[in-house]
Amino acid sequence: MKKYKQPSTIGRFGEFGGMYVSETLMPLLLNLDKSYKKIQKDKKFKKELNDLFKNYVGRPSSLHYAKNLSKYINGPKVYFKRDELNHTGAHKINNCLGQILLAKKMGKTRIIAETGAGQHGVATATVCALFGLPCYIYMGSKDIERQKPNVFRMKLLGATIIPVESGSKSLKDAMNEALRDWIKNVRDTFYIIGSTAGPHPYPKMVRDFQSVIGKEAREQILKVEKKLPDYLIACVGGGSNAMGLFYPFLNDKNVKIIGVEAAGKGAKTEETAATMTSGTPGILHGSYSYVLQDNDGQIKEAHSISAGLDYPGVGPEHSHLKDIKRVKYFGVTDKEALKAFQTCSKLEGIIPALEPSHALAYLIKAFKNKHKNKVVILNMCGRGDKDLFTAAKAIGFDADE
Amino acid sequence: MNKLDTLPKKKILSLFMTCGFPTLDQSKKIFNEILSHQPDIIEFGLPFSDPMADGPIIQEANKLALRSKLSTQKSLNLITELSKSKNNTAFVIMCYLNTIRKFGLNKFIKNIKSIVDGIIIVDLPFEEEGEIKKSLSKNNIHLIKLISPMTDKKRSKKLLKDSKGFIYYISATGITGSNRLDYKEINKNVQSIKKMSSVPVLVGFGIKSKKDVVNISNKTKADGVIIGSALIQKYFDLKMDFNKYLKKLNKFIKEVKV
Repeated sequence: MKKYKQPSTIGRFGEFGGMYVSETLMPLLLNLDKSYKKIQKDKKFKKELNDLFKNYVGRPSSLHYAKNLSKYINGPKVYFKRDELNHTGAHKINNCLGQILLAKKMGKTRIIAETGAGQHGVATATVCALFGLPCYIYMGSKDIERQKPNVFRMKLLGATIIPVESGSKSLKDAMNEALRDWIKNVRDTFYIIGSTAGPHPYPKMVRDFQSVIGKEAREQILKVEKKLPDYLIACVGGGSNAMGLFYPFLNDKNVKIIGVEAAGKGAKTEETAATMTSGTPGILHGSYSYVLQDNDGQIKEAHSISAGLDYPGVGPEHSHLKDIKRVKYFGVTDKEALKAFQTCSKLEGIIPALEPSHALAYLIKAFKNKHKNKVVILNMCGRGDKDLFTAAKAIGFDADE
Repeated sequence: MNKLDTLPKKKILSLFMTCGFPTLDQSKKIFNEILSHQPDIIEFGLPFSDPMADGPIIQEANKLALRSKLSTQKSLNLITELSKSKNNTAFVIMCYLNTIRKFGLNKFIKNIKSIVDGIIIVDLPFEEEGEIKKSLSKNNIHLIKLISPMTDKKRSKKLLKDSKGFIYYISATGITGSNRLDYKEINKNVQSIKKMSSVPVLVGFGIKSKKDVVNISNKTKADGVIIGSALIQKYFDLKMDFNKYLKKLNKFIKEVKV
């Protein structure tokens, strides 16, 4: 197998990716690309980031052998890469720390971000508090409603939340508004994108910062199992936690890799967020990738119970990995994810976020009574505290009592 | 012949309007009104669900147009129909790349060939334009270049090499419809562009009134202006009363045609 080396210098993953933005943003992105390349070679930057990973985030996150779940599945040995134990409760902080250090280096004085589930918003607000920078978070009003605990968290951390009322009032529209803010305030503002989406260099940069997940997991599994895993599984919305886990394993051809998308009410229905199962290649938010769109190229609204996966696009690297068949992608419905959410809570004493619950649902469904003697690593990329109200409502439990 | 090659020397007026806004039938009336004033250029905006480089007003216009089920084909048919009554006005399409990609570049060009003189693809930067520019130029359709205050000299030089039609200078580092105009900065940048290219430079983004138009003409070396959001804004100001809007449009265009 040829060694995996993506993206190209202009941000192409195969045919996907690129920079499709207006000329107001182009000079900025080129500058960002240049600055990012520079700090990659900067030892001081690396040390600073690693110190923060260790002492602020609590890295490395552990690799937990989920014995009870493995027994229940009656198939492979399942390990959780526990990025839900990170400070702020999800993997998002890894990328935010990297980007804010870069913003500081570039002399930017104002931070903006978009958020869906609120995890990226909380992580951004957190690093802004740590570094003393003003923080503006764009969030769809529908997401504000279903992710109230995170809204309060962001406010406590000193961030200003700007509700987005346009379109589907969720992640896609929050990203549109954040891009508009950036165009208006190009001179002093740094836009911390939370996913492996958007124009180059974001998909690469976010992947690189998140790949600490996969690097650690690789070392950890070699230590306990004395071999590489047979399978990796992660949920994919924009795709940052998945890219973080997958990337360091892409050259290991015996490691099978599975991405799980949110199929909402079903991948074949109109209410889905399963971009790669139901979408076609198109351009959204500055990059060429699979998107949910109609015959005229109008972007459709996504649907998922999980706000973090409720996005009609996906990172361009995932599109490439799908097309070269290195990663297989499957859809899981709201209902299946909710069931896995409960199963995992009961069996492992870990309440997962609704996002990794999708990955769990696929694992339980597809590996039941199969693949014995195999080893699976699942990215437990977020914890479920933020989803308690949504889940309670969906399950029919009155959380107000 | 491409009408953009014979633009007047000074005070060029380009008017932008979203196709299919607020409905297809009303849109025809709006464009006929605009066309009756014989502006130098009409820019036809093709609606897109996620117009990230446009402000809230054009975004809303896009939404209304799409709500009445406007397709790309219907937009192109509208432009074709209007072209029958055009005289000296140049036709330019302004759109996002995904619209063209999904429609098919060749089919798109086939539809607009010898009807449309230029095209502005908002999210297609110089780095990505290769094939598209070639196909357009083969069919005598100019790919209009945008220059922003963030574009430095070195980059401008690259962008402006063999530019055709006109150059769209983005006056504010803002999205369409924002409100600050810094004439000094505009003039500095326009002059710098003019040193690199002989194609007319039009100033767009944030031009709202006769006063703005006069100021651009008196205080800068720009060859003309582009008005878009201000034209659409009036519809919402008049609480979407279409008949009042048409009359207001007539009055406003007369005013800005200085």
